[in-house]
Amino acid sequence: MTEYEIRELCHRFFDAYQDGRVDVLREILSDDCIIWHNVFGRETTRDENLAAYPDSYKGQRRRTYNDRVINAFDDGFVIQYSLNGVMKTGHKGALWICIVGKCIDGKITRIDEYMDSSKFAAWMGAQ
Amino acid sequence: MTVAQMTTTDSVHRKLCHDLLDAIEQGDLAAVERCYAPGMTMWNNLSATTSTRDENLAALARGYEIQRRRMYNNRIIDTFDDGFVARYTCHVVLHDGSTVALSSCLVATVRNGEITHLADYMDSSKFRRRK
Repeated sequence: MTEYEIRELCHRFFDAYQDGRVDVLREILSDDCIIWHNVFGRETTRDENLAAYPDSYKGQRRRTYNDRVINAFDDGFVIQYSLNGVMKTGHKGALWICIVGKCIDGKITRIDEYMDSSKFAAWMGAQ
Repeated sequence: MTVAQMTTTDSVHRKLCHDLLDAIEQGDLAAVERCYAPGMTMWNNLSATTSTRDENLAALARGYEIQRRRMYNNRIIDTFDDGFVARYTCHVVLHDGSTVALSSCLVATVRNGEITHLADYMDSSKFRRRK
């Protein structure tokens, strides 16, 4: 894949996540895609991740993936971004996250996600 | 006949990444300093603030006061034209013998063989889960 194709794939992935397009996510992620989170220290499959998608939106009016800084390498990308959320209470929060993605033949085959879970409560607007 | 050693941006950036993590691991602040450009800055996702090179070196020095050792293991490095991303497990042992493992990600911008910016991503909740 060219650098352009990898960067475009990365943007498509985050656009789809932002827009709630699970059908596009299923197309972009390879069948055997693995997602690992530094918060849990464990891997999940594509289908487990997509099944959890609706629950991950509970209490949120919207969230946007902003300030995207993407660097591409031979077989993947690293993206640094701000996750801006607006809760149903009107509270606004931001998380700063980094994801490393591996890509083969136009699909993402692995995602490693790094964030600070100590910020979750403040992000959601907990007192 | 001598054969010139071939270097690529990839190998140069990988070496710089290992030099930095090795130097931090060994407490060699002079070597850390050699990896940094004079105007180097560092950002982290815990405070979402940017610090200077001198502030970063001072923070490393303070860290050594409370830690017996720290190791940067399981390094996975990917490079791109003007930098690298390193994923690793930072195993820390404190003076009381307790240990903590942090799975972190470091994104570096590199210019002329020196690091000009670092962005550090980790999960601070793991600090409280010492063993």
